[in-house]
Amino acid sequence: MEALTGWWDDFFWGSKVVAEVFIASLGLTILFGLIGAAAKLSNSKIAKKLAAAYTVIFRGTPEILVILLFYFGLAITITSIAKIFDPTVKFIDIPPFWSGTFAISLIVGSYATETFRGAFLGVNQGSIEAAKALGMSQLQLFIYIRIPEMWRIALPPFGNHMLSLVKDTALISVIGLNETLFVAKQAITVTGKPFTMYIFVGIIYLGFSSIITLTVIAVERYGKRTTTVK
Amino acid sequence: MTNEQNDPLIRISNVNKFFGDFQALKNINLKVYKGERIVICGPSGSGKSTLIRCMNRLESHNDGQIVIEGNELTDDIRDINAVRREVGMVFQSFNLFPHMTVLKNLIIAQRLVRKTSKKDAIEIAMNLLERVKIPEQANKYPIQLSGGQQQRVAIARALCMKPKIILFDEPTSALDPEMINEVLDVMIDLANDGMTMICVTHEMGFARSVADKVIFMDEGEIIEAAKPKDFFDNPKNERTKQFLKQILTH
Amino acid sequence: MNIDLNLIVESIPEMLSGFGTTLYLLIISGFLGLLLAILLLLMRISGKFYLDFPAQIYIYIFRGTPILVQIFIIYYGLPQFEYIQDSMFWIILREPTGCAILALTLNTGAYVSEILRGGVLAVNRGLIEAGSALGMNARHRFIYITTPIAIRIALPSYSNDVVSLLKSTALASTITITDMTGIARTIVSKTYAPYEIFVSLAIVYMICTFIIQKFFGFIENKMSNYTKIDSDNDK
Repeated sequence: MEALTGWWDDFFWGSKVVAEVFIASLGLTILFGLIGAAAKLSNSKIAKKLAAAYTVIFRGTPEILVILLFYFGLAITITSIAKIFDPTVKFIDIPPFWSGTFAISLIVGSYATETFRGAFLGVNQGSIEAAKALGMSQLQLFIYIRIPEMWRIALPPFGNHMLSLVKDTALISVIGLNETLFVAKQAITVTGKPFTMYIFVGIIYLGFSSIITLTVIAVERYGKRTTTVK
Repeated sequence: MTNEQNDPLIRISNVNKFFGDFQALKNINLKVYKGERIVICGPSGSGKSTLIRCMNRLESHNDGQIVIEGNELTDDIRDINAVRREVGMVFQSFNLFPHMTVLKNLIIAQRLVRKTSKKDAIEIAMNLLERVKIPEQANKYPIQLSGGQQQRVAIARALCMKPKIILFDEPTSALDPEMINEVLDVMIDLANDGMTMICVTHEMGFARSVADKVIFMDEGEIIEAAKPKDFFDNPKNERTKQFLKQILTH
Repeated sequence: MNIDLNLIVESIPEMLSGFGTTLYLLIISGFLGLLLAILLLLMRISGKFYLDFPAQIYIYIFRGTPILVQIFIIYYGLPQFEYIQDSMFWIILREPTGCAILALTLNTGAYVSEILRGGVLAVNRGLIEAGSALGMNARHRFIYITTPIAIRIALPSYSNDVVSLLKSTALASTITITDMTGIARTIVSKTYAPYEIFVSLAIVYMICTFIIQKFFGFIENKMSNYTKIDSDNDK
């Protein structure tokens, strides 16, 4: 335990990074998931095919590979593009925070696409027909009928997606993101106590997972307040 | 036509049943003799299903005694299994095992519980399928059968175990109207053969023509019990009269 | 930006040499993980607190922490203790492959046990009651009624977990194992062509995923025969 002395600060900042990645990727994941679901539910053949390709690619490729690909590949692409505009550019580095966040958002977003799609399809047809019969516009229908029912259906599986996001953050350490696992590696070279450090990282991530799980349970309860009979 | 000289096959004394704070059965006393056909009726929530489910320990009673064929129903698993071997049950939603053919549905319990040989089990099963008039369905899966056919298979399945008593829990309530009679016919046939039956049902025609005794339950209590003629033509209790008025006028 | 197709073509055989390792990790961990999952499932549904609770804790820990951390704890962390090095397990734990299989097994076991539990809980209660009413004891009911139906219900989720396991094997590359990802990373560090190499690697994984999904789709079809009204079962 004493091995941790002096490292508390670093682990704290590492945890902060985990939280930041989570928030950023959560927003992007929801965005990608909604776009994907919309594409799959739309009438456009092209949109459906693109969305299908999206889910197949990102559900079939290991997360670590996507992260590596984005980190190295994206840097090369952007550098090439930048060279077109400014030939003196040597290399553009994409910070691991953003390439990692983007990568895991795309991955979990592909799962979220399926979850959201299923949730939208699960909305009670009767409610929709009643709303149309009452003359509600498509937008009103979407905001007042579809969304409220849909998020309640999507919540349990989406909770699992959020857990995936948190845990995938550890993978971004591989490309140099200074979250907790990365900090642990540094601590080990100094203290020589790999078990202690990695267990501590595990505890930190377990903490994040627990917070997310408890939050999801609380939100589920809130959702049930108005939709179930007491 | 009851055997009142012998001991009752089922004796229920002072039985109470609670679900948490809610009392589902209040001081139930009932005797059923061999060969009797009992119909239990009453509004939803009156405890009729709970009562018969207590008779084969699908529910457990909190107070009182339930004695079936001399075996008292307790928490002891041997007592429970001894009772379940002699008491058959037919469910409202049939509950046929969907992953087994009709034939397999009929023989599985015979082989596992009675340890009957496969050959004998099949013979018994086919005989009963003939009796419920669907022997040609033996190798179909339940999903391929109509509701009425499934329920007849369910009755045959219960009969394969050669029970002394059969409990029916609203056997026709989940059936489309045109299929109700094919199931009732099987039940009448069974009754005529002398099977002891306790039937929770809303089918008053069946009660009137087949039952030896009709029992009315409300809010967990037995309100009235009488022969069909007396029950339908001369109900004594106010609540019974209310109930009959509600269900007999459509 | 040039895409060096030659490089892709040359590298594919080299990467595929790692396929055997990937497959090996997948099958061994998958099998052992399934055994572990069944054990955990039985503990969870036993109704006995002293079995249920430890199983819950185990599942909570292994589903709540990143698998990479679990791999590192086993591979880098355990050697910290001398008595591990002296014990009989050291033969397994000394090798990165053994550590990877252990970590993957422990991890997938936790996930699959919950999948199996979901299947068991989804079995219609009425069917169990029918079994009870016929006099079948708890063991009979579990073997002949619950298990066949639960497996069919759990199969789609299970196939997803097998795909996840395949993707997790790529993490073995972080502890020097030369699976497909490990070899690819080596090639990239030599040729500085991440795009070509990683994209082809991704394609290989996607093909493997496709094969797994087709395989399970086939099994699901066979098992769901009895749920279709016009099955080819009529004699």
